[in-house]
Amino acid sequence: MSEAYFPVGPGLGPEENFLSLEDILMSQEKLPGRAEAALPRLAAVLGKAGAGAGQSDSIPEGSKVEIPLWLAKGLYDNKRRILSVELPKIYKEGWRTVFSADANVVDLHKMGPYYYGFGSQLLNFDNPENPEIAQTILQTFIGRFRRIMDDSQNAYNEDTSAVVARLDELERALFRAGQKGLNDFQCWEKGQASQITASSLVQNYRKRKFTDMDG
Amino acid sequence: MFGERAVELVRGLHRAADGHLPAFDEDGARRVLEEMKALYEQNQADVNEAKSGRSDLIPTIKFRHCSLLRNRRCVVAYLYDRLLRIRALRWEYGSVLPNDLRFHMSAEEMEWFNQYKKSLATYMRSLGGGEGLDLTQDMKPPKSLYIEVRCLKDHGEFEIDDGTTILLKKNSQHFLPRWKCEQLIRQGVLEHVLS
Amino acid sequence: MFLSDFRREFYEVIVSQRVLLLVASDVDALCACKILQALFQCDHVQYTLVPVSGWQELETAYLEHKDQFQYFVLINCGANIDLLEILQPEEDNFFFICDTHRPINVVNVYNETQIKLLVKQDDDLEIPAYDDIFRDEEEDEDDSGNESDGSEPLGKRKRFEEDVVERTMKRRQRREWEAHRREILFDYEQYEYHGTSSAMVMFDLAWIMSKDLNDMLWWAIVGLTDQWIQDKITQMKYVTDIGMLQRHVSRHNHRNEDEENSLSIDCMRIAFEYDLRLALYQHWSLYESLCNTSYTSASLKLWSVQGQKRLQELFADMGLPLKQVKQKFNSMDMSLKENLQEMIEESANKFGMKNLRVQTFSIHFGFKNKFLASDIVYATASLMENIEKDEPGTDNFIKALDSLSRNNLDKLHQGLELAKKQLRAIQQTVASCICTNLIISQGPFLYCYLMEGTPDVKLFSKPVSLCLLSKYLLKSFVCSTKNKRCKLLPLIVAAPMDVEQGTVIMVGIPPETESSDKKNFFGRAFEKAAESTNSRTLHNHFDMSIIELKMEDRSKFLDALISLLS
Repeated sequence: MSEAYFPVGPGLGPEENFLSLEDILMSQEKLPGRAEAALPRLAAVLGKAGAGAGQSDSIPEGSKVEIPLWLAKGLYDNKRRILSVELPKIYKEGWRTVFSADANVVDLHKMGPYYYGFGSQLLNFDNPENPEIAQTILQTFIGRFRRIMDDSQNAYNEDTSAVVARLDELERALFRAGQKGLNDFQCWEKGQASQITASSLVQNYRKRKFTDMDG
Repeated sequence: MFGERAVELVRGLHRAADGHLPAFDEDGARRVLEEMKALYEQNQADVNEAKSGRSDLIPTIKFRHCSLLRNRRCVVAYLYDRLLRIRALRWEYGSVLPNDLRFHMSAEEMEWFNQYKKSLATYMRSLGGGEGLDLTQDMKPPKSLYIEVRCLKDHGEFEIDDGTTILLKKNSQHFLPRWKCEQLIRQGVLEHVLS
Repeated sequence: MFLSDFRREFYEVIVSQRVLLLVASDVDALCACKILQALFQCDHVQYTLVPVSGWQELETAYLEHKDQFQYFVLINCGANIDLLEILQPEEDNFFFICDTHRPINVVNVYNETQIKLLVKQDDDLEIPAYDDIFRDEEEDEDDSGNESDGSEPLGKRKRFEEDVVERTMKRRQRREWEAHRREILFDYEQYEYHGTSSAMVMFDLAWIMSKDLNDMLWWAIVGLTDQWIQDKITQMKYVTDIGMLQRHVSRHNHRNEDEENSLSIDCMRIAFEYDLRLALYQHWSLYESLCNTSYTSASLKLWSVQGQKRLQELFADMGLPLKQVKQKFNSMDMSLKENLQEMIEESANKFGMKNLRVQTFSIHFGFKNKFLASDIVYATASLMENIEKDEPGTDNFIKALDSLSRNNLDKLHQGLELAKKQLRAIQQTVASCICTNLIISQGPFLYCYLMEGTPDVKLFSKPVSLCLLSKYLLKSFVCSTKNKRCKLLPLIVAAPMDVEQGTVIMVGIPPETESSDKKNFFGRAFEKAAESTNSRTLHNHFDMSIIELKMEDRSKFLDALISLLS
């Protein structure tokens, strides 16, 4: 891993980090909503262009829409003059019960892949279920954390793709951090901590070079 | 949907793992700026219309405005993250980058790199009471003055003292002062051998 | 010249200089190299290490680096040839040679300035006296002056006649001296053999300087064991050297009976062993090891049906069920492994194998890691001559060198696996050669040619593997033949080396006898045969008894050898 590259990480809680690539990707995830006012001239943009002539290019008031989070946050206000949002189903009561039963079983990557990040952002829309949502997200994390930590500390030099497949992005970052710690420790134990290594940036470029020649 | 090309910019960069610097997506950046220009012009027109009565256009204007902000955010984050990667190159690789890396950078980024190099050099020179201190050396605490290195590819002659040179041939091994070898190791020419 | 005080005349001279290390490709050289590297790293001596597999590489390496170094250390190369003649160095270049090859070239012995030999001057070197082989040039010049023209007065004429007589006498003396010189040199250079292991010499140097470590001692042990496995030294020398090393082992590895002061299991320990000489048996199965060790395979004649039967009987006599012995050694029942060595020795005795156990050493570190010195030798040698990937020789050298460090266990294990394959290949080749009567008597020697297409023949294009094959082949042949005269003959084995270039590699080994002095005359014989037939040969290897030649010249070369040696 690169030692001098420190990217801007995702934000915590209801605030995103403006410059974080992760947060940008997270906020691209979609959620269901309802237009509380008509949206003229935007029908094509939202893929609701009418078929016949004479149909307006306006999205009528009351239409169901599916929009990315960033747009939802931008258009939402607590009076819901333009947009109201619904909870995506994994944050609704039905799924919340499943999570509380056994959080470890769930494939959070399929459900997300930004379950925690996206869930935290949902709290920006004053939903009466917010306290329960927050609680579920927290409990899910608590329930799964122990196993993630164990796995990351005990898988040395192995193929961990099966373990990682069911983790959401936040959990994957944690897992990677755990693995790095483990690898660094093993490296130190073997007396290799003081070994100067080629920068990982270089090694990648050399590999690239060969494929360029072949291609 | 607006902002999709912008997200692609970000996604492409995010996919380059471990601080790797992919080629500058000139095309992508240009398209995003074009979309921003279009959105801005549409909004200008609609704002004028809204002022003269069409207040129903306000949600639309807001919609486009959000998209504009989104595009801006994506481009700025893209440029910023690339600068972080370029900065890492100075510390991990050295002050002279190989050609394939240079082709991945835009002219402005190259300029930024040169300025960063200069600032860093100035700063390092000012340390130690004017004597200067190379902060990019000894990134891992050294255990000895001399280290054993192995040559991974033919590199030709290499000067180690005033005048004395050694021949770096593939698979030859050398025992040399640490500070002379560090950069070549980071560049992948030599390998640090622990015994 | 011979150095007497290695510390003062060698180490202290180079400790403040930069040095070029030229190391030959054999396990003893690698071990000596590791010891020297450890000393250099301790004292911050800057050096460059270049592996060389033959004279050509040595010359090339010298030419490439001569402008950058003044001090050169050669390990297991350079002693048996006139080095200054080959390299034509500047006057300020100094060569320190630590080489087991004997005899040492007389120019190297008597050069006072540039050649420094890191060799102990024992009695068995038998260096000819200086005056017997070198003669002052001035004496000769006196003869060539004073040409008379006949028009001399009578007095001078008489003196002139006396001069002529004197000069004739001198010329005769000179001819006699030269004949005597040729004889002496012939005797001196006729037989090749090997001296004390270079690794042991380096260890000795370290010990004199009180810088010896247990790790260095282990490398010295491996170096000596390599000489024994390759049959380069006599049994007596081996036992004597083991005795010397045993003293050092005791010094470094006190046996701690006291529980409180015993070392952690992770610390490295060397122990003396009187263990079975079955190759790699602790990392293989007993069965495989018995089948693939030349001593047992030859004694039991395992290439024949009766041999296989004898093998079964042997196991039965030892009380070891077949199922157990075919398992990995570590998985054998503990109860069977108790007193295994004594049991096997007893049974083997009944089958005519009286020397199944041999004095050696083992190394322990951690719970899992225990290796005999011979294990390391086989593993390292197989890495060095690895033919699996088409990598350049220097890559293999580096891997083999690395495998000698304890923190490169993965390379060592890789070497062990390769060694098993190689030993199997050797045994199978030996068996097929014997069964198909591929070894024929040419009169003064036995001859065997491995044809292209023989399985594993690529492995035998490498010198060390080919030599190992030859020795096993000869041992087995001696056990299999009934012809008393053939049992005493030396053996030449040839194998294709580079098919594209049409070259063949040929090696000659001395006869197999109980008290062999391991002296090999093939070096000079090959040289003479090549000269007399104008064959296109290449004497590239540091061992003179290994030669490369063109396929087409093979038969005339052999004919010349036959007539030379009859």
